[in-house]
Amino acid sequence: MLRFLTFRLLRAVITIVMVVTFAFVVLRLSGDPALLIMSVDAPPEAIAAFRAAWGLDDPLWIQYVRYFNAIFHGDLGRSMRDGRDAIVLVTERIPATLALTLPALAIKLGFGIPAGVYAALHRNTWVDRLVMMLAVAGFTIPSFVLGLLLVLVFAVQLGWLPSGGQDSWRHAILPVITLGVGGAAVLARFTRSAMLEVLGQPYIRSASAKGVPWAAVVRNHALPNAAIPTVTIIGFMVGSLIAGAVVVESVFSWPGVGRLLVVAVANRDLAVVQCILLLVAMTMVVANLIVDLLYGALDPRLRATRAAGAH
Amino acid sequence: MSDIALPAVESRPKPRRLPVPPLVVFGITWLSLMLAIALSADLISPFAYTALDLRNRLAPPIGFGGPWLHMLGTDELGRDVLSRLIVSIRLSLLIAFGATLIGAFVGTSLGFLAAHFRGWVEHIVLALVDFSASLPFLILALSVLAFFGNSLSLFVVLLGFHAWERYARIARGLAISAGAQGYAAAVRQLGASPWRIYGRHVLPNIASTLIVSMTLAFPEIILLESGLSFLGLGVQPPSTSLGNMVGYGREYLTRAPWILLAPAFTIVLTTFAVSLIGDWLRDRLDPTLR
Repeated sequence: MLRFLTFRLLRAVITIVMVVTFAFVVLRLSGDPALLIMSVDAPPEAIAAFRAAWGLDDPLWIQYVRYFNAIFHGDLGRSMRDGRDAIVLVTERIPATLALTLPALAIKLGFGIPAGVYAALHRNTWVDRLVMMLAVAGFTIPSFVLGLLLVLVFAVQLGWLPSGGQDSWRHAILPVITLGVGGAAVLARFTRSAMLEVLGQPYIRSASAKGVPWAAVVRNHALPNAAIPTVTIIGFMVGSLIAGAVVVESVFSWPGVGRLLVVAVANRDLAVVQCILLLVAMTMVVANLIVDLLYGALDPRLRATRAAGAH
Repeated sequence: MSDIALPAVESRPKPRRLPVPPLVVFGITWLSLMLAIALSADLISPFAYTALDLRNRLAPPIGFGGPWLHMLGTDELGRDVLSRLIVSIRLSLLIAFGATLIGAFVGTSLGFLAAHFRGWVEHIVLALVDFSASLPFLILALSVLAFFGNSLSLFVVLLGFHAWERYARIARGLAISAGAQGYAAAVRQLGASPWRIYGRHVLPNIASTLIVSMTLAFPEIILLESGLSFLGLGVQPPSTSLGNMVGYGREYLTRAPWILLAPAFTIVLTTFAVSLIGDWLRDRLDPTLR
């Protein structure tokens, strides 16, 4: 178990290092930072002084080490737009985003998993087909189309709910539904196929054959085993709590991290973009790590085989 | 030919052909229609997609009081929505096809490299797979666009990197197991080069699984492209794609919803159609599923 844990931790660290490297490489490839920040007609001496001051004349690997050092001290640069620290700018948007993504996650779990389990247990009935039809539809309707259709019906035509902004809880209803529906569809599809896979296993047949009531077979044998692959996709959903609402926040003018990201990309505010990229990578890696640990707890076999197969 | 084939099929009950489900027939029909529109865009679009008709601005579609001239209505500048839709379908499909092919090519090549060399090459490929599987692609794409700015070719290549890791995983796994099977070993013993083994022997044997992955990735790429274009960060005006049209139409949601609804339904029906075909193909072709 300890070996499994250290291996997983190592992988998480490697992924973070790769993301930081990615940001560094992309940042350097995108052009000379001196020319990017100074105006085009700045005198050459000023550019040279700027390069010297920021260490841009040093070898790349020294810059790389320095970059790492700054990031691990929490120095993620300043926004070129309003001069504040990028990290402050980003973190003050997080609560607004969570106000959408957490209820949406509840919808995804609350509808997606039961629908998937039910469809699998009643395979090839009309309920199953209906659930799958809805799931495919929910997956193929892009969130901005669904969001705008909801606005058209509930805000424009019926006038029941506001179409955008963040003034009261009523403003959150449409974006939360928009976010929740797509995720619930994905989760229902996934849960159904995981359940079907498990229900075809020999141990399910043995359990039924020895006289265990069907409800108990489902509860004690099928559900825990189907939970294992489903946890992965839930982990991905938890990991994208911070950045999973980019499009929806834009549709509903919701002032969260996603909206900030879109504006920052449009303005090429690189410090903010890089800060969000790293933040998302961290949450994703932590979520994946928790999933891996949960895997170990849910499935004792994985502890041994994963550690052994890992070198 | 059919006279001989028919009784033979009837006498053998085993490989019975399941009828194609009606939804899949719909999917294939819709996709063919879209392809036909994309291929003949210049011939069938009634107006140039940038042509202005200032006397018919924000004209509603036929049936809602609009003139016969503009079947799906016009936008704020009097541009014909149908013509713009046709041109958008062409660009969106072109991007999606291009990106899907790039992803499949890059992913499969890296998967084969990993399977062929093993060792540290495989470790690097797997680390890259881990890396791209651990980040939401939208965020990755947005940061690249922020750093490099936008151009159509960069955009297509960028979208091509969506889902490459899936092809890499599949290609690596299948190539390793193919290597353990007789045919690959036999060709190798005959002195075939790795190019020949992977290109002529392994690839055709695993193609069906890869094609299924492509049909599953294709709608995702359409959704990504239209999402980014909707945000104003994808295809840039004066070019137009389906997502652009929705983003533009959003401003006129209350006054002229047709600007938005026409491309929105096209996106939904196209991704729906390809997903149906993909699911059906997977059930039919994928040997890893029973």
